[in-house]
Amino acid sequence: MAATVATPVTPTEFESDRCVSEEEGRGNEAEEEGGQLTGPVPAVAHSRLSKLPLARIKALMKTDPDVSLASQESVFIIAKATELFVEMIAKDALVYAQQGKRKTLQRKDLDNAIEAIDEFAFLEGTLD
Amino acid sequence: MAERPEDLNLPNAVITRIIKEALPDGVNVSKEARRAISQAASVFVLYATSCANNFAMKAKRKTLNAGDVLAAMEEMEFERFLEPLREALEVYKKGQKGKKEVSEQKRKDKEKKLDTENDKSRDEEEEEEERMEEEPDAENEAEEEEVEN
Repeated sequence: MAATVATPVTPTEFESDRCVSEEEGRGNEAEEEGGQLTGPVPAVAHSRLSKLPLARIKALMKTDPDVSLASQESVFIIAKATELFVEMIAKDALVYAQQGKRKTLQRKDLDNAIEAIDEFAFLEGTLD
Repeated sequence: MAERPEDLNLPNAVITRIIKEALPDGVNVSKEARRAISQAASVFVLYATSCANNFAMKAKRKTLNAGDVLAAMEEMEFERFLEPLREALEVYKKGQKGKKEVSEQKRKDKEKKLDTENDKSRDEEEEEEERMEEEPDAENEAEEEEVEN
């Protein structure tokens, strides 16, 4: 009767609230199922491509007053680039932790990486 | 409805997962380091957006596109990202195409179904139809999102 059509629109479009799963366990689950989608495969594959929620990325982009329109693809690429950035900065910071013979990455390792690496110059003075 | 940059953070769980997958087993990350990385990621988004937007404006376009972002990466000295980003974009585009086709197919199936169920209460179905139809439209609108400022 009332056929429940699985929403083709991924949670990244509207439901930024639902994507906020601060709980680790739930976060993993959501990632796998494509953010609570039980629907068609393409939707799942789509969200596997980008770990970061596109809606949140887009909301961040919108805070720039000079930005008027952004294509879906551009939002996706920025999300993906951010992912690569996180990987990169984590690895670079790790070098400093290892120099200090530590197995735990600490804030100061981040600071060292930012200071030493040119690509991270834009971060100087921006973190709390 | 304006959100401030300070209020918008990327989900901790996701950031943590990305970090963990990038680092070897046995390495831990302090809460402060995690928080700083998350903040850095937000700054990265803003910086990349601003950079990409410059390219769009130079080309007299109002819509930021994928090419602008790639150009921004180069400008920001993140050339190492270009190859993986291009690959990911290809896969993404195929996925989008598939989604559209699936959503089109669903729409056709639904219409077919409604035709055969003509006997049932029309009102009920009309309401359903309206709700359902919002989604495919949203899909189409999704091509270019208007950012209200």
